Order: sequence, then structure tokens, then C-alpha cells
Amino acid sequence: MADGIAFKLVTPARVVFDGDATLVIAVTTEGEEGILPKHAPFLAALKPGILRANLVKNGASSRLELATSEGFMQALPDRVTVLVDEALAFDDVVVAEARERLAAATERQKGAAGGSDAYAREQAAIDFASAQLRLTGHR
Amino acid sequence: MPSVRDLRDRIRSLKNTQQITKAMKQVAAAKIRRAEEARKRARPYADALAEMLADLMAAVSSVDHPFMKPGNESAPAGIVLMSADKGLAGAFNSNVIHAGETFARGRSGVRYYTVGVKARNAVRRMGVSEHPTWPLGASKIVTAREVANRVAEDFVHGTISEIVVVSQKLVSMMSQRPETRKLVPVLAEDLKAFAGTDTDQPAAARGAVEFSPSPEFVLSRLLPKYLEFTLYSAMLETDAAFFAAQLVAMTNATDNASKLIDELTIAMNNARQAAITKELLEIVGGAEALGVE
Repeated sequence: MADGIAFKLVTPARVVFDGDATLVIAVTTEGEEGILPKHAPFLAALKPGILRANLVKNGASSRLELATSEGFMQALPDRVTVLVDEALAFDDVVVAEARERLAAATERQKGAAGGSDAYAREQAAIDFASAQLRLTGHR
Repeated sequence: MPSVRDLRDRIRSLKNTQQITKAMKQVAAAKIRRAEEARKRARPYADALAEMLADLMAAVSSVDHPFMKPGNESAPAGIVLMSADKGLAGAFNSNVIHAGETFARGRSGVRYYTVGVKARNAVRRMGVSEHPTWPLGASKIVTAREVANRVAEDFVHGTISEIVVVSQKLVSMMSQRPETRKLVPVLAEDLKAFAGTDTDQPAAARGAVEFSPSPEFVLSRLLPKYLEFTLYSAMLETDAAFFAAQLVAMTNATDNASKLIDELTIAMNNARQAAITKELLEIVGGAEALGVE
């Protein structure tokens, strides 16, 4: 496709999305990164956050917004691959569950030493849960 | 010689058993399909992970990550022993447990981490009552993450010297083989082997890849994911192999039951005929004694 790139979003359990996009924006550890077609080869670590993409299918465009957990994004001139543990669409988010996880992770983080792996893990859980809440407009 | 009634009872009980084994065979066949589908769904992730690793290995010459360095030599080896939760699958579980024991014999000390109820029970029987354990049946992604975090932590803290996974490999639908694989410390060759498969585009052809923030950082994030995913796919394979083994075991059980039923039916018919003949002879003998014409 002339104006799109092959965009693939995969989790260990399934391929969440496989199609064409004109723009993919993901939250890397360094901040938000937008990928347009013909991007130079690029590989980044992703933070939990909200991944956005402008999709094209048969000339019609649409938007994709997903809360994603930690992962990686690989961009090549003709394709973008995003690898995450979990990706939830608006309808997949269970608000009560996300709130519960947020509270539990915050609680557990208090017991972990700053800078430790456990602390970082809880921070990721907190970020993912709050991304879910933001996606559904709860925070 | 058993009586007709004894034989009839045995045949009836065998038929009941056969019905159960036949049902379990059908269930196993359906579950293999499901397990295979789950494995197929995990493949795109493996491919993408492999491709990223290929790029990274090309960019990074030496990695300063605990996973790539030799572990604490004086610590015991860490074995992740993976079995199914249930039995009735022939020697499936005992084979993998045996493989774990064989590996343990070659080391001065081991620390077990078990996935699957059968592995847990076996390790408890060895006299290790307290050890980290997870069931296989629960949400596998979550379990894989927990196992990976736990063993990684123990490795980094020097509690274990290496991470080895012992699990069943699905060679074909008819055969499964236990496999012992060393996961950590990660060898560059292992990563290259993993990255080399199914990569349609070699990294070298791509030229310079930009990494954010740095190749070392991305690799340090990717290695735990590699461990996690390897454990996850080993769990999926164990699942599929278990149902394959169960299918074979239940097919054999059903066939054996059929054979036994046939033999017992012949024995029962013989016994019944013998009884009838005996009765007839008695009647004839009795009539002759009375002198009836």
C-alpha cells in the first residue's frame, strides 16, 4: 500500500491486530513515539500506556486505541510490529478490576524497596492499570 | 471354572470401563486440537521476538546483563520441572519426572520449581516438601510470568547457579520425549538459534537500526521476556503433548478392553453351553434310569 504500513500487534496469546496503518503512536520508555510510513529501522522498549493508531482499510480510515502493558516496538520502512504482554480495547477493560489491580499494586509497591525489580514490576502494573482507566475515561 | 454369572459381571464392568476410556479418548482428541491452536496463536509472537533479537544481537557486541553472565557456582542448580496436572496418560508424567531426576543426579545440588500437580507430588515424594509450585492448568501466561520472575530473581540473587527447564517435547502426535534445556545463563548461540528460525529478513540486510533508548537497555528488557515466553511455550507444548499421550493411552485401553471382552464372551458362551449340555445329560440320564421310553 502506498500510504500505509503493515501494522501488527501481537501478544503471546493472540494477534490482536494485523492490518494497515498510516500512523502508530506508542509510549516508549523515552516518551511517545509516532511511526509514519518509511520510518528508519527502529527498535524501542515500551512502557505500559495507551497505544494509538490511525488505520486504513480499503481507503476508509479509522482509529485504534488500546491500553497496552510493557513491550517492544519494531519499526521498519514498510511495517511496524508491536509486542506486548497484554493489549485491551475499550470494551475489554473491566473498570472495577483495573481499579482493584491499581490499588493492589500501589499497596504492594509500598513494601518493595525503591529501585528493585519488584518495585519496577509493581510500577508497570500501576501504569498498565491506570492506562486502562484513562482509556475508558475514568481518570 | 468361573460361572456364567461371574463372566457376565466381568464383561459388564469391562464395558463400563471401555465407555469411560472411549470418552476420555474423544475428549483428549478435542483438547489436542485446542492446545495446538493455542500454540499456533503464540507463533507470531515468537517470530516477532526472534526478529527483534536478531536485530539486537547484530547491534550488541557484549551485554552487561546478569542473564548473560555465569551464575553463582556454589549455589544449587534450579530445575523447572513441568508435568501435567492429571494422569491417565501412560508414562507421560513419570518420564518427565525421571528426566528431571536424571539431570539432578549429575549435579551436586538442585532446587526444584514445579509446574503441574504431578511434578509437585513427585518432588514432594523426594522429600522436598516446600518448594515453589504452580499448577499447569491455570492461566498459562500469568503462571509463566510468575515462574519467570521467581527463577530470575533467585538466579540474580545467587540462590541458584542456572535455570534449567525439563519438559515434554511433542515430537509427533504419537510420541513425546522429555527434554532438558538450559535457559539461563543465556548463551549467545542459543539466542542466535532462536532468532535465526523463521526470520525472513536477515538483520544484516537492514542496515543500521536505531534503538531507543539503547540496544543494551532494550536487550535487558527483552531477555526476561525471552525467558518468560520460552516457559510459556514449554507449558503450551506440555499441554499439547499431554493430550497426545492421553489419546494414545486411552486408545490402547479401549482396544485392550475390546480384546478382553471378546475373550470373556467366548469363555462365557463355552461355560453356558457346558451348563446346558450338562443339564441335558442329567435329564437324559434321569429318564433312562426311570426306564421312560
